[in-house]
Amino acid sequence: MIVSKKIVLIGHFGVGKTSLIRRFVEDTFSEGYKVTIGVHISKKTVIISEDQLISLIIWDLEGQDDIKKTRPTYLLGTNAFIYAFDLSRPVTFENLKSEIHFLKKNYPNTPLKVVGNKMDLVNKEYLKQYNSIFNCLVDYFVSAKTGSRVESLFYKLAIELI
Amino acid sequence: MNQDEKLNIIKDILLTDEREFVSSIEKKIKILEKTVNEKGNLSIKVDPIIDIKLKEFVKEIPNNLGPTITEALKKEIADSQDAVVEALFPILGKMIKRYVQHEMKLLSEKINTQVNNTFSFNRFFRKAKSKASGVNESDLIIQEQSNTKIEQVIIIEKGSGLVLAKFSKNKMADEDMVAGMLTAIKSFVEDAFTKESQNLQYIEYDLYHIHLQNFSSFYIAVVVSGAYNIIFKDKLEDRILEFTDKQKITKTLKNKTSLTKKLEEFFKNDSI
Repeated sequence: MIVSKKIVLIGHFGVGKTSLIRRFVEDTFSEGYKVTIGVHISKKTVIISEDQLISLIIWDLEGQDDIKKTRPTYLLGTNAFIYAFDLSRPVTFENLKSEIHFLKKNYPNTPLKVVGNKMDLVNKEYLKQYNSIFNCLVDYFVSAKTGSRVESLFYKLAIELI
Repeated sequence: MNQDEKLNIIKDILLTDEREFVSSIEKKIKILEKTVNEKGNLSIKVDPIIDIKLKEFVKEIPNNLGPTITEALKKEIADSQDAVVEALFPILGKMIKRYVQHEMKLLSEKINTQVNNTFSFNRFFRKAKSKASGVNESDLIIQEQSNTKIEQVIIIEKGSGLVLAKFSKNKMADEDMVAGMLTAIKSFVEDAFTKESQNLQYIEYDLYHIHLQNFSSFYIAVVVSGAYNIIFKDKLEDRILEFTDKQKITKTLKNKTSLTKKLEEFFKNDSI
C-alpha cells in the first residue's frame, strides 16, 4: 500500500519553486521563467524501502510576496510545507522570520522546511553577509539548476512523513 | 348697633346668592384643574376621542395620502432607475436563468424522447428487433439510452485533495493528480463565490463530464463519458447516496483497501 502525502511549496515570485519540483519529479531544468498561475500539482513516488513507498503529491502554489495573501483553502490538509526563497535576491528573504512565524503559528503540527534556492548564484562571502538570517532559519541550501541537494530535501522530508 | 354693623347686615342679605354662586364656580374650576393637570384623569376623557379620530385618519390614509405616496415613489424610482435595476438585476437574473436552464433541459429531453419514439425509423427497427430477439421494447430503449458510462470514480478527502479510494474501468488519468487539481479548482471556485455557499457540481472536459458530489469530510468525483443529462445526473446522485449510505463509508474512510474494494464492487456495472 502506497501512502500519499500532500506537500505544499510556497514563497515569493520567481524563487524557483516550480524549478525545484521539476528537478525532483522530472530531473530537468529550464532557464525560461513561466509564472505559475493558481496552483500546479505534481506527483512522485519515493521508495523508502522495499516494502515502503510514499507518494508525494506536490502543490506548487503561485508566488506571493506576502504569505498571508496565499489562499488558505490551498493549505488545508497539508502534510508538509516547503518555504522556498531566492538566495540571490534579499527581497525574497527579508521577511523570512515573520513568514516562518506565520506558518508555525497557523500550522503548528505540520513539518516545515525552509529552503534557499539558487545556491549556484552565490558564493561563501555572500552567504556570510546574511549569516544571522541563514544560520538559524534555513534548513537547506539547494540549486534547482545543478540539482544540488534537491533529491535529498524531498527524500528526507518523505522519511519524516512516514 | 352702629352704622358699620348695619351695613354688614345689609351686605349679607344682599350678597348671599352671589357668594353661593362664586363658591360653586370655585369648586368647578378646581375639578377642571384636577382633570387637566393629572394625566390619568385627562386620558380617561381624551383617549376615546383620539382613538376615534385616529381610526378615521388611518381609514382615510389611502384616500388622502395614497396618491401623494405613489407619486413620491414613482418619482424616486424614476430618478434612481439605475440603482433599482442594479439591486434587482442579479437576483431576478439568477432566478430566471436557473429556471430557464432547467426548463430548457427538461424540454430538450422530452423533445428528444418524443422524436425518437414518434418520427424516427429507429422505432421500427427497435420493434422488429424486439420481436426477433424476444426482448421487451422498453428494455431495448433503456439499452439504447445507456451510452453514458462511468469511467472512473474517485473518493477525495476535502481540503488535502488526497485520494481515499479509486476505481477506474479505463485508466483515464492519474487519480492523485486529478484529485489534487479538482480540489484546487473547487477551492478556488468556492472561495470566489463564498457568499453563495454553493459547491462546484461538475466540470466538462471534451467528451467527459466530471460529476462532483460533496459530503462533509470528502467528495466523490465521477468521470462520465457520453450523454450527461439531468436525468442521468439525478440517477447518479441517488446511486452515490445509496453507496455512501449502504456501505457506511464514513466508517471506512481511513481504510483505503476496504474502501477501494467497496467502490469497485458498487460501480463495476455501467447501469445506474
